[in-house]
Amino acid sequence: MILISQDAWWIWFLGSLFPAESQLLHPRASLQTLVLQHVALIGISSSLTIAIGVPLGILVTRTYGRPFLGITSDLTALGQTFPPVAVLALAVPLTGFGFRPTILALVLYGLLPVVRNTIAGLTSVPGEARDAARGLGMTGAQILLRVELPLAARIILAGIRTSVVINVGTAMVGAVIGAGGLGSPIIAGLIQNNLAFIIQGALPAAFLALLLDQAIAGVETLVPGNRATA
Amino acid sequence: MILMEELTKRYGESLAVDTLSVEVAAGEVCVLIGPSGCGKTTTLRMINRLVEPSEGRIFINGEDTRKRPPELLRRSIGYAIQSVGLFPHMTVEQNISVVPSILGWDRSRISNRVHELLLLVGLDPAGYTHKYPTQLSGGEAQRVGVARALAADPPILLMDEPFGAVDPLTRERLQQQFLSIQKELRKTVVLVTHDLDEAVRLADRIAVMRAGKLVQFDTPERLLASPTDAFVRSFVGADRALKRISRVPVTSMMQPVKTLVRSGDTLSGDVSQVPRFAWVTDADGRLLGWLDTAQSRSPDSVFEIDAAQVEYLTVPDSASARDALSRMLGQGVRSIPVIDESRRLLGEVTLRSIEEVTAE
Repeated sequence: MILISQDAWWIWFLGSLFPAESQLLHPRASLQTLVLQHVALIGISSSLTIAIGVPLGILVTRTYGRPFLGITSDLTALGQTFPPVAVLALAVPLTGFGFRPTILALVLYGLLPVVRNTIAGLTSVPGEARDAARGLGMTGAQILLRVELPLAARIILAGIRTSVVINVGTAMVGAVIGAGGLGSPIIAGLIQNNLAFIIQGALPAAFLALLLDQAIAGVETLVPGNRATA
Repeated sequence: MILMEELTKRYGESLAVDTLSVEVAAGEVCVLIGPSGCGKTTTLRMINRLVEPSEGRIFINGEDTRKRPPELLRRSIGYAIQSVGLFPHMTVEQNISVVPSILGWDRSRISNRVHELLLLVGLDPAGYTHKYPTQLSGGEAQRVGVARALAADPPILLMDEPFGAVDPLTRERLQQQFLSIQKELRKTVVLVTHDLDEAVRLADRIAVMRAGKLVQFDTPERLLASPTDAFVRSFVGADRALKRISRVPVTSMMQPVKTLVRSGDTLSGDVSQVPRFAWVTDADGRLLGWLDTAQSRSPDSVFEIDAAQVEYLTVPDSASARDALSRMLGQGVRSIPVIDESRRLLGEVTLRSIEEVTAE
């Protein structure tokens, strides 16, 4: 990863691919900066997505939240069908350019896998385990923390993984309104017809996506989960 | 100890439980039985407030169960269900430890308790503490479920068809285990089943329910001997005489028997006092076999009962009159000896004596 963020490496790499190109690296910012901006975009939006999505999924699977299950499912699905670019277009007049509208678009877009998997994970908890837990005298919170969440954890994490990995690609859109990130070289490359720029943006992003995918998958195996499937 | 007063549960228009009043004494096993939909499980679940009654009250040791938050009530009541509901992500030890750990017991107390409980339900702690529920057989899972229910040593145990999900052989073994555990612990138990044989076997008193109402509440003997109405009569079945004698221990109706004693080469005893086929014991009273005294009086002619034959040619002192009857019919004989663990002859049961017991 450190190697990849060195500009010099990229100049050599892209130079060998595109000897004709005069400009190889996007001049506006160093690759390191771009990567960090991208990571910040993903980090903040995914954290918000998780912080909103998981509790939401928990709420609608409680007995008192049942009536809202349908609406929540529909709304989060809507969040994903709405193209992020459109969200940006609508948000910019309200929040200005740059970081904030991008975060909003990313959060909305990433909500569906997290909420859906939280719901799926929690409803996959065997009913008799929940009944036994109640009968033994656990409070609702204890049942959630000691029985439901541990059993649902793997499915929830899988949803988070999907959301984060997709987020890496979606975050490119931020470049359109000046949020920076790895989308910048890509957009610039598209405008100036410079393939080297595009690769400079795409490859690290792909790498980042792979890295995050492996990291979260690793966490999934650590989680106790349902031993029936272990 | 448990007093259910005019319990009623309404779901919309229909009455699942209709003004049920039952009192369960401390240390008693009360079995709720009845056809599907009679309200027995609903009644059970009202005791620990998994279901809240529409009307009526439940008192445990004089205290209204509504006084405390339901979670606290449930921690003082053991709960074991048919599907067991073990937590798949926890080991056997962690499963059993659930309630004690919520109650704040310290680690060593909990692990001692788990060890003790596994022994009580007949599972070797060394082999089972670290196993996961998916690694357990049906019978083993059921036992762990009971251990978990008993973990915090609650005075009351609620069981909903706890032995239902296993094969008949395992079921019988589990019932035996339950009886010996109950003998030792003397818990107040309310158990729901649809199996009358199970009820007759395990209950101190049986509550027969139908369509939400209590129809008869009696000891198994009285229930089988005098069913109150046509419904109960048909519910207990036409073979209630057989069921009744399953509750009669052989030791309570066996007759003393005169024997011949063989020690070494000699056969002693008064031949005139014994029947033609006489039982022969050794000098300590242990049953060796029998002798056809019309054929021979010689010690060598004693037909010896070897270890393989003991099981069906004799009954142990823990058996019931029904077991004795079953053996006699199986062997085509009119009497059968009763022996203790060391094979000492205690008496005999005859077909005639069984007829006398079953005569109403």
